[in-house]
Amino acid sequence: MAESPARTAFAEEALTHLDTLYRGALRLTRDPDQAQDLVQEAYLRALRYQHSYQQGTNMKAWLFAIMRNLFWDRFKGSRKEDVSLDDVGEFVLYDKLRDEGAKPEADVLDKLAASEVVRAVEKLPPLHREVVLLVDVEGFSYKDAAQTLGVPIGTVMSRLHRARQQLQKSLYDYAVESGIVHGNGAQGVPQT
Amino acid sequence: MNCNDCIEKLDRYVDRELNAVEVVELKLHLEGCPPCADQYEFQANLSRLVKRSCECDEAPPAFREKLRQILL
Repeated sequence: MAESPARTAFAEEALTHLDTLYRGALRLTRDPDQAQDLVQEAYLRALRYQHSYQQGTNMKAWLFAIMRNLFWDRFKGSRKEDVSLDDVGEFVLYDKLRDEGAKPEADVLDKLAASEVVRAVEKLPPLHREVVLLVDVEGFSYKDAAQTLGVPIGTVMSRLHRARQQLQKSLYDYAVESGIVHGNGAQGVPQT
Repeated sequence: MNCNDCIEKLDRYVDRELNAVEVVELKLHLEGCPPCADQYEFQANLSRLVKRSCECDEAPPAFREKLRQILL
C-alpha cells in the first residue's frame, strides 16, 4: 500500500523514538513480548491520530503519552489500583551510608550491578516507575513529564521524590544483602 | 544559602530544574561547603547510575524492521 509522503515522514520521525518507547514499555510491562505489543499498538494509534500531533512540539513526549495510556488501559484496567508505595519514610541513601560509617559513600554506588538497579526500578509501582523513567532515564523536564502523564508538575515532583526514596531503600537493602555494606554500614570490601 | 536550603534543592539541581539565580547561589554554596559538595556528587552519580542501567535496552532489530514494514 502506497502511503502519503506526509504519513511516511511522520512515521519515520516517530520511529526515531523507538528505543525510548521500547525501554519505557519494557520497564512498565517487565515483559519483552508485551512491550513489543504495546509499542506496536502505540505506533498504530499514533498514526491514526497523527492529526492531533502539533508540529514543533515534543514528539517523544507525545508518543510516550500514547504508549503509557495504552499500558494503563490494557494491562492494568484501572489506574486507581496502583497508588500504593511502601512507606519508607525519609530515606536518603547518602545519609544512611554516612551515618553508618560507610566511607567513601560513592564507592558503594560503583559496586551496584546495573541489573539490580533495573530490578529496583521495576519494583516501583507503575505510577512512580513511569516518573523515574521519564525524568531519570529519558531526561524529561518536570514540565514535559507532567504533560506526558497528564498531571500537575507538583505531582511529578512528589511522585519522583517518593520513588527515589523507595529506590534508594531498595538499593540499600540489596547492598546489605549482597555484602557490599554491612548492616552497620561498614563496607564489605576491606579498605586499603 | 545554608546547608538545609542547599540539600533541599539538590534534586532539582541534578534534574536541571533550578532557575539561573538559584543555580548560581547553589554553586557558590557547593564551592565553599565540602559536605554538601560530597552529597551533590553522590546524588549526581546515583542519577547517572539509574540512567545508565536502564537505558542500555534497545528495541530488537527484528522488531524495528517489523514496525518499519507495518508503518512505512
